[in-house]
Amino acid sequence: MSRNAPTSTHMPQRHLRAVFALLLTAAAAPAGEVQQVPTDQALAILGQKVADPDGKDIGRLVDVLVGDQGLPQAAVIDFGGFMGVGNRKIAVEWSALHFAPSDAKHPITLDLTQDQIKAAPEYKDVTKPAPVVVTPETPR
Amino acid sequence: MPPNGTSQTRSQRALDLLNFFVADVQTGFGPFVAVYLTMHKWTQVQIGFALTLSTIVALISQLPAGALVDAAPNKRRAAGGALIGVIVAALLMAFWPSDLPVLVAQALHAFSSCVLTPAIAAISLHLVGHAALGERLGRNASFAAIGNGLAAAAMGVTGTYVSSQSVFLLTAALCVPALLALLAIGRGPHARQQTTTQLFDWPGLRRLFTNRQLLAFGVCVLLFHMSNAAMLPLLGATVTMRTGTFANLIIAACIMVPQAVVALCSPWVGRSAASRGRRPVLLLGWAALPLRGLLLAVLPGAWLPVAAQAISGVSGAVFGVMLPLISADITRGTSHFNLCMGALGLAVSLGAGISTTLGGWIADTAGVQAAFAVLALVGVLATLALWLVMPETTPDPPRTDWQARQPPPAGSE
Repeated sequence: MSRNAPTSTHMPQRHLRAVFALLLTAAAAPAGEVQQVPTDQALAILGQKVADPDGKDIGRLVDVLVGDQGLPQAAVIDFGGFMGVGNRKIAVEWSALHFAPSDAKHPITLDLTQDQIKAAPEYKDVTKPAPVVVTPETPR
Repeated sequence: MPPNGTSQTRSQRALDLLNFFVADVQTGFGPFVAVYLTMHKWTQVQIGFALTLSTIVALISQLPAGALVDAAPNKRRAAGGALIGVIVAALLMAFWPSDLPVLVAQALHAFSSCVLTPAIAAISLHLVGHAALGERLGRNASFAAIGNGLAAAAMGVTGTYVSSQSVFLLTAALCVPALLALLAIGRGPHARQQTTTQLFDWPGLRRLFTNRQLLAFGVCVLLFHMSNAAMLPLLGATVTMRTGTFANLIIAACIMVPQAVVALCSPWVGRSAASRGRRPVLLLGWAALPLRGLLLAVLPGAWLPVAAQAISGVSGAVFGVMLPLISADITRGTSHFNLCMGALGLAVSLGAGISTTLGGWIADTAGVQAAFAVLALVGVLATLALWLVMPETTPDPPRTDWQARQPPPAGSE
């Protein structure tokens, strides 16, 4: 089950545009050049802990849903459970996440509490529309 | 009973400890593996593959592992080898959580478990003989449940507050006292009657696999796990859905409360199976399944289901004691006790596999209440099957007076 598979295969012109953009970027940067990105500037997020606004760990980021522009739409968070029993995967709106690569303790914060996401339908089937939890009207 | 009472007492104590520690070392290799691999940046596809591999290895190892233990002249050595396998698997998981090592660890652990379970039952049989086996298996299940519950608590705490790696380090470390306990058990006085030197004894195998009692019990065991296996994971997901903040505490209770019930009930189950016969005890354990399924389907909130989950302790105690006991009944006088346990282990794995698939599918399409209701219905079928096809297997002739008057095995105060 590849969770990052694009779901909109009926829009080839957009894909072409994306491929073209990629080619342009590739042409702009000389091949083989390496840039060192410090760990406090870019964060490896897969498997990373996610905290609620109070700083309490609520789960781990296990996947990212990306749109056709390459922009993240939603994050899949595995939360709850004890020793692996009762864990659920929930998709949350990307903009509800805040990243602090330099903060070793809480690198990812979710603008939703456990109680706000607890009843959300589980994100299970990559071939179906993802049930994404969105932030309430007035964000904190 | 052998005249040498103190060495028997010592061996029984050592077997208690073996059961306690072996249950401990199984805890970390459960659903926690998925959490652990997630932390090590494994993708969901990779994790699914590792877990499937472990399931398949467990499925195909049951019969060969049982035959292997039957063929091993020394069952304690077989159990020791399996424990060393668990140590290697746990260390691989702790220190080298990348593709190949984890797959090797999963396969190694699955195979070792298939050896350990029948080997411990065989060691128990060698130690006390058929007449006192019910009582002994009650003690086994009781100590295993205490080990299981405490290990879940300890690993839950260290996994959360120390590091996820510590769960597997603790697993490897707990194998050491298990090995020491194994060494202290010594050769059982009833060992000779159960040892075979033949790996392939075709007429014996044909007799075993056409044994009506085994076929009947196999079906009952399959249906039992078809009803049982999906209940806890579904309940866990439901609890997480109903209570955000305290979900992990409630799920921990759902795991540990039934173990306490198993620890309390098992000695009684073992004694009752010996004094009242197997059928009434089996019926009690099987009938507890539909009751639990029904309660889980209707009880609201998050804390009430914990009470329903406690009922699973009754089923768990009956199952844990009766599976080896019935295997010993069926294979009495033959040398296929462990193979018989392997065959029933296969029924357990198949039933559990169907259960989680079926339960998950119904929960997705019709809701979790419907899933519990269907699992309860399967439990009704399992109980009916047991009632209709499962014969009493208490060996003929039934316990005579001199057996009934025998003092309980030394050391079981």
